[in-house]
Parts: sequence; structure tokens; C-alpha cells
Amino acid sequence: MITNYIKIAWKVLMRHPVYTFITLFGISLTLTVLMVLTSFLDHLIGAHYPETKRDRSLYIERMNAYDSARSSMSSGQMSFRFLNKYTKSLRAPERVSIFSESISSNVYVGDHRIKIGIKFTDAAFWQVAEFNFLEGYPYNAQTIANGNRVAVITDGFKDQYFGRETASVLGKSIEIEGVQYRVIGVVRGSPASRSFTNADVYVPYTAPKSNYQSRDTRGNYTAILLAGNRDDLAALNAEFQVNISRVPLSEINAGFSVGILEVPSETYLNNYLNQITRGGGLTTAFYGAIAFIIFMLMGLPAINLVNLNLSRILERSSEIGVRKAFGAPVRTLLWQFIIENVFITFIGAAIALLFTALIIHAVNTSGWIAYADLAISAPVFLISVFITLLFGLLSGLLPAFRMSKLSIANALKA
Amino acid sequence: MVTHLFKLIWNKKRTHTLLLVEIWASFMVLFGLMVLLIYNLGNYTEPLGFSYDNVWAVNLGNNEDTTGISSKVNRVLQRVKAYPEVESASRMSDNFPFSGYFNGMGVSYNNVTTQVERYVVDDQFAKTLAIPVAAGTWFRNADSIGTYQPLIINRKARERMFGSENPVGKVVSDYEGKKGIWRVIGVVDTFKGRGEFASDKPVMIELLRNSSVYDKTLIIRVKPGTNAQFEARLVHDVVALTNGWSVDVRYLTDSRASLHQQVVVPIVILSIVCGFLLINVALGLFGVLNLSITRRRSEIGLRRAIGATGSGVSTQFVGETWVLATFAILIGLLLAVQFPLLNVFDLQAGVYLTAMGVSVCIIYLIVTLCALFPSRQAALIQPAIALHEE
Repeated sequence: MITNYIKIAWKVLMRHPVYTFITLFGISLTLTVLMVLTSFLDHLIGAHYPETKRDRSLYIERMNAYDSARSSMSSGQMSFRFLNKYTKSLRAPERVSIFSESISSNVYVGDHRIKIGIKFTDAAFWQVAEFNFLEGYPYNAQTIANGNRVAVITDGFKDQYFGRETASVLGKSIEIEGVQYRVIGVVRGSPASRSFTNADVYVPYTAPKSNYQSRDTRGNYTAILLAGNRDDLAALNAEFQVNISRVPLSEINAGFSVGILEVPSETYLNNYLNQITRGGGLTTAFYGAIAFIIFMLMGLPAINLVNLNLSRILERSSEIGVRKAFGAPVRTLLWQFIIENVFITFIGAAIALLFTALIIHAVNTSGWIAYADLAISAPVFLISVFITLLFGLLSGLLPAFRMSKLSIANALKA
Repeated sequence: MVTHLFKLIWNKKRTHTLLLVEIWASFMVLFGLMVLLIYNLGNYTEPLGFSYDNVWAVNLGNNEDTTGISSKVNRVLQRVKAYPEVESASRMSDNFPFSGYFNGMGVSYNNVTTQVERYVVDDQFAKTLAIPVAAGTWFRNADSIGTYQPLIINRKARERMFGSENPVGKVVSDYEGKKGIWRVIGVVDTFKGRGEFASDKPVMIELLRNSSVYDKTLIIRVKPGTNAQFEARLVHDVVALTNGWSVDVRYLTDSRASLHQQVVVPIVILSIVCGFLLINVALGLFGVLNLSITRRRSEIGLRRAIGATGSGVSTQFVGETWVLATFAILIGLLLAVQFPLLNVFDLQAGVYLTAMGVSVCIIYLIVTLCALFPSRQAALIQPAIALHEE
């Protein structure tokens, strides 16, 4: 029966190529936008290389100091010393890593220069982030304690600095702002959109210019607390907040006398949203905006397609009349039209999948985001199929319902 | 004829509400996009006020070193000036041109406070960036000795603070009204340190004190053709001279490009949203027109039978669409006109008016294009066939 419906649907589609084209265009455009968007969101907030442990990590990126009336505020990253003092004593986490933001610098090879980002990290960084080592190995606590000048570099930087042909660069040295480092490992680079792990060169925090001994409370360091499993995150946060409540406020240097200190330890998504909305109650507004955008992306085209579907079905009122006269129940007709519509939607989805793949490929190879790894992964694909079905039902249900209710006499008249 | 069309649309207002909302929404987004475009293009035509080719910004970071900072910076500056590759070098605050950093403050003259953008530079700055002085003089290093600090302002600041008075020699105070801190010694035309796409805002340029421990950015103009080999030597020498400070060399052309990207990204995003909405309007129009033509076949057949021409019929459908678009645009204009009236974003009214005009034209154009095809279909209906079905 279903093959029959699909055959009819195909014939109907072929009768008006222009309108079929418009319908398919509308469906595939909408689904392409939704799929690319899903894939992009997945790239931004999903747990991907090398931050595969995001779902059991808490991020400490910001210290917010206020005066007691909350009229002045000072916010920023923290110093190594501060984070070390209040996170390394925690008992709940499996690991704690403290590392700096990526600091921009230049290195010189022959007569050209390479712009790089340097990250000063501790040894636990390599356990919290799961990098793929193409060569060599990371530095450990012992290497750091010995004060060895060693560096882990990315494959992209290796190609630029040593040339593509060089077989192995282990043991070779690089010079950054007058400091020599020995390369002990090469990793596959982390995408530029993952700021916690993105850099070109990773060196121990005891290296020169890392400012790890600074007595200031503010600096350019961040910490990640890694829990044994997801359920421990709440306990971990509670233990860290107890530590923060013990920080003597007189230690905090903010340019005014500090009365309230907040050092949030949050999941990646919350931390990310607070970065965008700058904290406060704006998170709800942000979710509202997302809901509105999704409505706009799905609702408007769906309602538009209702009209196109209606006129396509209206032309077939005599067919409906005849079938009804011969005893087809409303349910059967309803099913026929819904199946027809879902069929068209799936044709549109196939086109959309093709376009999405092309767009994602273009984004990945354009170099717009370094090391971009957008993909149509299993969850992205499943969400897309679900959206497609919903879309087909949404735009097909109303016309199908209206037409199946048509009285026989009226239908046959036309 | 027109009133008749209005009546037709009004009678089917329920079917048309959605389309009305869509056209209205795309008009509003289009209006926003146009304001952004026209504003940025307008800014782009105003002169930058300095030249940036072959100019580098060198950021020095003292890290954990806290002794003798100002003398070390000055020593580095003297060393940099001595290279044969360097045409001119200057020391300034960290908000160097195209850096994206903003340093603002309020200054008072005659108890009126004006918000200005603040740069702290030394006497070589005008030479290094080739800034022409319109009135008065640039700093001479001897200026720093005296009761007042010398000050240079741009034309915009001059208009805001002094109106038609001659500013040279006038004494201005800071926002707290402390008496006489600076004396204006010169006026430059424009100085848009935040790039071509920034608007021309009031600017004050202050003379840098040699003893300052902040303001650790050097601006260097090198000879054309200087390559990274010299840059590497420069970084090496500076590190040796300062015993381990951080040195970050940036080309102003690179900083300018990344600053421009910040302007372009919102425009691209808004264009995508706008394009999506407009395509939806087109789809909606196709759907609605196609539906009503299928429904009104007999009406069209009758009109053709009693003598209406094909173009008469298609004009009617295009006209109906125009009426619908006009409703939506009128609502949109009612909202859009609030922006210049309430002066929401401190933009000139002309920007909003041009944006309104352009958006209205684009909407009408798209609406007409979408209505043409279904209307042609309607015109092709044969009266005999249409009436036979009745």
C-alpha cells in the first residue's frame, strides 16, 4: 500500500515541476540550516577531541570581586598561586589541572615569522585533556620539578617550523623570545574554538615568562577540576565553594575594598553561556532567544509549506471525492496524505544532507577555524531525522486533515 | 481600483496575517542590516588620520620584574631608534591603533564634561604615524616641564568642547573638575585609532611621562622591505636588554585586518538571517498566491469571459501582493521611525532614513518578483475551461 501512495505522490510531484522545486527548495534549505546549526553547536559544546572529558569536568575561569554594595565589580582570570592554593588541596576531584590562557607571541625561521600561542600548563593537563600524541610523550611532574625547558608542539606548528619533510623532531630545539625549548612531543592540534586546550606550543608552568610566582590574585590562569564521574560534580563544586568562602577578602586586589567574592566552578555549557551573557540572569534570556530562533527556523517554513501543500491537495479534490464515494474512511486518506508529505520531506532531507556535508567540508577546509572538526556525527544525524519527521508532520497534518474532511458532494463537483 | 484591492485583502485578513508578519519581520531585519551597512560605509569614508604601512607595535611585558621598569623601557626605545632599519620609533599607551583596546575618560571645560578617547604618546608619535597637525603644534619634549600638561585634541573634541572658540592655549580639567590640568597646544583633524569602520569620536592625546611604569608599547616605522630577519634580531636584542621580558611584535596591517573581521562578522550573520527570512517570504507568497489562484479559478474565468485581458488579471494579483506588502511595511516604518525620533543609538537621522528607503525598495522588488510567476499562471487560465468546471 505504502509503495502505491509513494507512486501517486511521485506522479503528483512531477505534474507541477516549478512548485515541486519550490517545495523541495524550502524543505531542504530549512533542514540544511538546522543540520549545520546542530553540527556547529555540537562542535562548540559537545565533548570532542581533546576535551573528551567535558561531561565530568568543572571549569574555574573567572574571579568576580564586588564591593559590599555590588556597585563596583572587577572580573578576570586568576594567578597560578591563587588557584594552586585553593584547588590542589581538594579531596573530591580525580585530577586538578591549572594552565594559562594561550599567550600570543612570534617565532622566527629564516626570513619569515610564525604567529603562535603558548600555553603554560602543569602535568595534570595531559590527563585532563586527552591529546593524541603523534610523536613523543608529554612532560610529567618530575620533568617540571627538574626545571627542564621542554615543549610539546602541535603538528601544524611542526610543519611550519621544521618543514613538512622532517621525519622526527624529538630532541630538536625551538627558540621563543630568546628562550630555548627542547621538543619532547608532537600532538594533533586542538580546534581554535576550544580555548581551554587550543595553543601551538605547550610548556611547563615553571618556564620563564609564565608569571607563576606572581603574588597577585589576578593573572591569566584557569583551572579544570576533573571528577571521577558525573554524579560527583555537585559534591566537587560544594567542596571548592567551601574553600573559596575561606579566602581572606583583604588578599584580593581589585582597586576597591572587596566585600563579595565569587569564583564559580561550572560545567562547560554554563561557563560558556556565562561568558556570552556576562553572567547575571541573562541565561534565561539566552535560552529564550534560542527557542525563538528555532521557532523562526522551523515554524515559519512549516507554515509556509502548509499553503503549498494545501493547493497541491486541493487540485486533487475529485480524486478524494471518488475514493470517499467508494468507501475509503477518513483515517486511510489522512494516512495517505501524511505518508506523501513525509516522503517529500525525506527527499528534501536527502538533498539537505548533501548540502550540509558540502558546507561542513567547506568550513573545515577553509581555515576559518583552525583545526575545525565539524561533522555529521550519529547524534547530529539522529536529531536531523527527528527534525525532518516533525517537519513533515507539521506541514502535512493540517492540509491532510482539511482535505479528508471534505464532503463527497463538494469534492466531486470540482 | 486600489480601494477594491484593499477590500479584497481585508476580507481575507486571516489567511494573510502570517504573510504580513513575515514581510514585517524581514523588513525589520533588513532595516537593521541596512543601518549597519550604511553606518559602517559612512564611517569608512571619513579619513583615518594616520598611516600604518610598515608600522609595527611592540608590546613589552615586564612579567615578574618590578625594578627600574621605566628606565628599561626607555633603554629599549633608544636601542630600537639606533637600528638603521628603523625610520622612527615612539612609545605610547597599550591602546595602540587597531589594538581594539579602548581607554576613555571625561574632561571638563567651563563645567561641561565631554567623554573622550584617551591616548598617551610621546613626542615622536606624530612623525612615526605621519599625523598632520591642523592647528597649533605637536608635543616637544620640553613641553612636559611646566604647570600644565600639554594636550592635543581632534576636530570632533574641539567642536564638542569649544564650539567656535580657538582651543589653542585653553586650560581644561578632568571630570572631577580639578582646576587646570592640561593646556591644549594643538589640534589634529581626525584620529580613528579604532579603525576605518569606527566613527569619528572626540579624542585627547596626552604627553607620556618618561617615568611612567605603564604605557609599555613601542610604535615603530621600519623602512619598506624590512623582513622578519630584522624582527628576530630586534626581539633577541630586546630580551637581552631587559633580561627576560616578553616581547610581542604585531604588524598594524594584521591588527587592522582582525579588527575589520569584528565588523564583518555581525554583518554576515545578519545577512544570513535576513536572507533566510526573505526566502521564506518568497515561499509564503508562492504558496498563498498559488492557493488563491487555484481557489479563484472560476472568478478569473468569469473576468476573462466578460473581457478582462490576461495582463489585467495578472496586474490584479501583483497589485494584491503590493497592498499586502504596503500594510506590513507601514507597520515596520512606524517602528523604524522611532529610532531617529528617540535617538536610540546616537546615529544621524540620515542613516536611518536611507536605510528605510533602501529596505522598502528591496521588499517591493522581492515581492513583485515572487508575485509575477503565479500571476502569469492566472493570466493563462482559459475562460472556457474554468467556467466549464463550474
